[in-house]
Amino acid sequence: MASISWHTVDHSLDECIKCNICTSYCPVSAVTDLFPGPKYVGPQAQRFRENGQPQSPDASVDYCSGCRVCNEVCPTGVKIAEINARARAEIVAKRGMPLRNRLLGRNELLGRLGSVAPALANFALQNPFSRLLADKVMGIAPEAPLPTWSTSGTFADWLRASKPQRLRSDKKVVYFHGCATMYYEPFIGKAAVAVMEHQGYEVIVPLQNCCGLPLLSNGEFRAAADYHKNNVAHMASFAQAGFPIIGTSTSCTLTLQEEAPELLDMTDEGSMQLKMATWDIFEWLRDLAAKGELATDFRPLNLTAPYHAPCQLRAHRVGKPALEIMEMIPGLVAAESHALCCGIAGTYGYKSEKYQIAMDVGEELFQFVREQGEGVDYTVCDSETCRWQLEHGTHLPSRHPIELLATAYGLYDLEKRNLV
Amino acid sequence: MIDLIVIGAGLAGLTAALTAAEAGLRVKVVGKGLNALHWSAATLDLLGYTPPRRAPVREPWTTLPHLSLTHPYQIAGELRMRAALQRFLNWSQAGGLPYLPGAVEGENFMLPSPIGAMRPVYLAPYGQREGDLSSQQPLLIVGFDRMRDFYPHLLAEHLNKQGHSTRAVVLSSSLITQRSDANTVQLAAELERREHQIALGGALKSAVRPGERIGLPAILGLDEHTKTLEALAAAAGAPVFEIPTLPPSVPGLRLTTVLRSLLARRHVRVEIGMEVVGVQVEDGVVRWVETATSSRPLRHTASAFLLATGGVLGGGFQSDHQGRFWETVFDLPLNVPQDRSQWFRPLFLDAEGQPVFHGGVAVDNQFQPLDSKGGVMYRNLWAAGGLLAGTDPLQEHSLEGIALVSGAAAGEAAAAALTGGRQTNEAAPADIPAGASAAKTPQ
Amino acid sequence: MQLVETDILVIGGGSTGTGVAWDAALRGLRVVLVEKRDLTHGTTGRYHGLLHSGGRYAVKDPQSAVECIEENRILRRTHAHCIEDTGGLFVVTPEDEGEYPERFKAACLKVGIPCEELPLAEAFRREPMLNRRISRVFAVPDGSADSFLSTHATAQAASQAGAKVLIYHEVIHPVVEGGDGDRRVVGAVVRNMVSGEEFTVRAAMTINAAGAWAGKLAAAAGIEVKIIPGKGTMVAMNHRIVNTVINRCKMPSDGDIIVPVHTVAVIGTTDEKVTDPELLRIEPWEVQLMLDEGDKLVPGISRARVLRAWAGVRPLYQEGFSGQSRDATRSLTLLDHQERDGVSGFLTITGGKWTTFRLMAETTMDMACKQLGVTRPCKTADTFVPGIEQGHYWLGHRLHEIEEHRLQGSLVCECELVTRSMLEQAALKNPTVTLDDLRRDVRLGMGPCQGGFCTYRAAGILHELQLAAEPAGTAASLPAHAVTPAAEEPWDVAYLQSPSHSRQEVGSQSAPAAARLPAASPALLLRDFLQERWRGLTPILWGQQLKQERLDELIYLSVLNADHLPNAGDSSPLTEFWQFDTTPAEAHKTASETATQTAGEVQP
Repeated sequence: MASISWHTVDHSLDECIKCNICTSYCPVSAVTDLFPGPKYVGPQAQRFRENGQPQSPDASVDYCSGCRVCNEVCPTGVKIAEINARARAEIVAKRGMPLRNRLLGRNELLGRLGSVAPALANFALQNPFSRLLADKVMGIAPEAPLPTWSTSGTFADWLRASKPQRLRSDKKVVYFHGCATMYYEPFIGKAAVAVMEHQGYEVIVPLQNCCGLPLLSNGEFRAAADYHKNNVAHMASFAQAGFPIIGTSTSCTLTLQEEAPELLDMTDEGSMQLKMATWDIFEWLRDLAAKGELATDFRPLNLTAPYHAPCQLRAHRVGKPALEIMEMIPGLVAAESHALCCGIAGTYGYKSEKYQIAMDVGEELFQFVREQGEGVDYTVCDSETCRWQLEHGTHLPSRHPIELLATAYGLYDLEKRNLV
Repeated sequence: MIDLIVIGAGLAGLTAALTAAEAGLRVKVVGKGLNALHWSAATLDLLGYTPPRRAPVREPWTTLPHLSLTHPYQIAGELRMRAALQRFLNWSQAGGLPYLPGAVEGENFMLPSPIGAMRPVYLAPYGQREGDLSSQQPLLIVGFDRMRDFYPHLLAEHLNKQGHSTRAVVLSSSLITQRSDANTVQLAAELERREHQIALGGALKSAVRPGERIGLPAILGLDEHTKTLEALAAAAGAPVFEIPTLPPSVPGLRLTTVLRSLLARRHVRVEIGMEVVGVQVEDGVVRWVETATSSRPLRHTASAFLLATGGVLGGGFQSDHQGRFWETVFDLPLNVPQDRSQWFRPLFLDAEGQPVFHGGVAVDNQFQPLDSKGGVMYRNLWAAGGLLAGTDPLQEHSLEGIALVSGAAAGEAAAAALTGGRQTNEAAPADIPAGASAAKTPQ
Repeated sequence: MQLVETDILVIGGGSTGTGVAWDAALRGLRVVLVEKRDLTHGTTGRYHGLLHSGGRYAVKDPQSAVECIEENRILRRTHAHCIEDTGGLFVVTPEDEGEYPERFKAACLKVGIPCEELPLAEAFRREPMLNRRISRVFAVPDGSADSFLSTHATAQAASQAGAKVLIYHEVIHPVVEGGDGDRRVVGAVVRNMVSGEEFTVRAAMTINAAGAWAGKLAAAAGIEVKIIPGKGTMVAMNHRIVNTVINRCKMPSDGDIIVPVHTVAVIGTTDEKVTDPELLRIEPWEVQLMLDEGDKLVPGISRARVLRAWAGVRPLYQEGFSGQSRDATRSLTLLDHQERDGVSGFLTITGGKWTTFRLMAETTMDMACKQLGVTRPCKTADTFVPGIEQGHYWLGHRLHEIEEHRLQGSLVCECELVTRSMLEQAALKNPTVTLDDLRRDVRLGMGPCQGGFCTYRAAGILHELQLAAEPAGTAASLPAHAVTPAAEEPWDVAYLQSPSHSRQEVGSQSAPAAARLPAASPALLLRDFLQERWRGLTPILWGQQLKQERLDELIYLSVLNADHLPNAGDSSPLTEFWQFDTTPAEAHKTASETATQTAGEVQP
């Protein structure tokens, strides 16, 4: 493991006063006793782990979904979820990793492979027979809400094609699209670019890697570090030049800001510049609004849209900026969910042994959506995997808030998910 | 635009926020994490003991004048105290979690503690009220075999020694859960399920003798607490009440949830996970506070600020091995012994308490923190709760009382100042110009 | 008065005394050991846990160093499960330059201590928190040891070989017979501190293994033995921080070692000559010094959370020595009082260190056998104490077992991962008077919350055991004599620390024996254990540990109101700790004097 300093997560166990608040709010241990709770696997178990231990003493920490609710409610500042992530990495280092987790961690590679022949890939992955096979052979739950590859080209394809039409301006931002936008949901990227251009900004999309979060949450730290180093190499210079680096995937932005540097102990100058320059797109828009620079030419959106701020966004600790912007859109009723977690937690809910746990965790959120009544057309959430889980759990289509905003600007068709 | 930012999401902060919101302010609460209610019995302890901690106080109101003049209750005065209690009763009703006084209005009453000592309380949640030990009704204490935080035989032995006829029964945990590992909150969730209520209700009915009341650990449901309690009482054919447990406190979690939902109804955002890491003060005024994020600090500007971060336990104070002891947000002056060797007495359960916990933030009668010369420190800053000087709420059994009374008083005072109700607190800044940093992110 | 006849009477239940009892029993002698409190209540239970390689003494005290490395090798076999093979590093900080490192290397070579100079990068890989400014690192076979477990295991081995190990038995006075020129010690009058019963143990040979109290005992036999009580203060950090023993490569001095033992890292120690072995008060400067010195080995360690501080008193002895206790020899000293003082039947064994306890026992019993005309050889170097099949201790073992068998739901002490069955087995299989005895058995209350959560639970569980032990149909309190002098059954500690093993034994026990359970009421057990924890906390309460302490106060004052239980103010001499204490004289009032609360009294 990388070198340790007093500022890393390991030593934050010293902040724990054993008060049990984290365990009381942990959405996973609420639904299963297979997970003994954040205090137990986090600061408590950490005292029984050591550098160079002959074997990893852990097992149940693998049931931590990494949702970070524990960090949020902890009154003393223990980095519980990060302690757990590192313990999981140690299990991987000692016992190796199942092919499944290796695969699920390689979001970018999967995306690229499937995009070669997306229709075929979708068929291959989504037909009941192969899902059964995936379950039996690899332990990927047959019902789990796996994404589908974009059949209308990747985001990169669109970027190339749309280059001549895109805005040039002295005001520039950098866009970090993430793997989901690249391969599965390029329309999110299109909506984001349209909204940023609508504010008068030229959007730069530099070469970029997967943020590394799927690898981190599956315990493959070394591979994640390579990804992060690449991202720093590609983007730190923009950060240094003062360009905001804006993302639409809350898990990617969190990883660039905090997860990668903290979990991997990467505190080099480039990593720090990237950390400080990265924004969630709505946090950035909220900042524009505060400066009076946000375009407000909204058309009414007559929608009731239950909004769930995903755990990954809450871990940014910036409040719920999407909600604040959506509240400015006339006609839009964005009912705020207070559910703790949708359950999916990245790739957690894809795994056969965790699928039902993820669904049970998500039930609070699904219930909230059901309580909003018949008039709901879409649920809204900033994170892609959470949207897929929401669709799976509620049978309602789900949208990124940027899609709603782009629609309100008249730039986007919310139903067809395409620019107009 | 936000009028008032409350720093701290404990009982004091939530009370202050709700009070100020009811007075018409736009309020936001930022808290580092969740609060001390999750550790306490969540009864409303007003004043159970005066130092030295020997005999319990029966009549808190007549005891008040004997408190030190720097005690928060003396500062608030009886009128504001009574008003705060009334607010709390209203909120608890509105939130569906009613709190009730004892048999003699205005006096403390005794409830059993989880080890069978008698706890003096002023108001108790409906679910605990039936445990009133001024009643001679015999008790049956019921626990569960795999529950690590409740020992009915021990409880019964101590109650018997104090003249309360008590029996104890330990039931199988499998009546209420199939989990191999469950804490009180998880058990409370299990008891909201009908099949567990039926199983437990049946067992209670066979265990209870005529005339007994049944005391159970405080795990009788979360949001569905009242229904759960009533279902069990009906099935058992006897009164049922809760006895608090070691943390996590289900009654405290319920109260926190109710207060947060009342705040949500008033459009007050309670942001948890936000730790204040920076402040800007100038010309005797707090301009902004900044909270830590995963990236740049987030700046919060407002016309007024209310500090309710708690004492040592809440995180309002910090200390180090060199004997430094400080208030964590504004570095307000604290009257704690300078020499670390003076912080403690030789006995853990010393009847006088530990000197280090007597220190805190001194405030004026509007609950504004004072500087070392006795003047108001910042014109737009108020303070409430565990960080106040002049009391050791754990020793006094006044934990919730201090939080509530000072929270309400400070919230009211801030609201009065901002709405022009107070002469001495002239022109609180309404709109603070942006600082030099480009990272300004108002809410 | 009852009379017990034996060959050997051992006075003192520390590592040395139990070692002597074991050695004697293995030689086929009848042995009685008496200890006035629990085993290891004295210095053995208050040491930092270092299994010496001898490196520390290689330059200064080569004889001591040789003893250490030899015993190190033996104990790794005989007491394998009590030892963690951490390895040790001697590091040269910027303050330690000069010729010492070369002398150290040469001295290790000379006395036979394996010593390998490591590349710095390798040292930092093993110990990432180590000061990056160190210039050289030497690896030696240091280790860490559980002195509670090892002493109990030795006692169990002694019991199995026929020895009687009596705890909570205090020597009232040695029995001395004969006149001038022909005085002999023939045993001692002993009091069972629980029942109050007194009896005489008559022995052919009485061994004074009372450690820092050896001088007092000898004086009672009319012999002057000037023990140099060297107080050592230690500070335990909240977690391991380092996983190898870290020594400064210089002449031994204050605060120059960090020992990872169980879940903590111990910075040790001071060495202050004190007037009385019971003066264990910790001065603020001592804690400060440990932290400041610790910073030189692991920069920033002074800002990390401190768990606790404590002090132990070394029973140093050097004939005719009058210097600083730091400079007194660490080698063992056996005083043959027949030769030295003309008093036969009496040997005093003192000096030494935990690492050499077996050798001390062997030396003592060799002499005793010689005087008694017994020719049987020492067997302890080749005999294993029960439990060694578990292999060397490793930090993760409790967590691993709990994970493997999913025992999370039965945790009582969550910090140190003590399950309910571990606690019950410890209470039922060994005589128990206080919760502190159970702490030494299973580490109850030794973690970050220092008893905050588990004290209440342990009191509740012990109360249930007490109830189960009562004869059916009686509601009367337990008999007063919890530990009888004839507690014949051997100790059973081999697997007490194993969560999975304890689990299998649940239910195998028939009705608990009241004689082995504490007689004190749960309320007093609770009060006095909290107080015992408190005295090690006050020297280090700041930062996170102060916050923790306040949460513990919230639990015991506000939620439990534990100081207002009906008998909260009762006197309980056996479980009260403030009489044997770190605190100054004015603190020596009992709870009964302080808490005069009466339930009926109500204030207006």
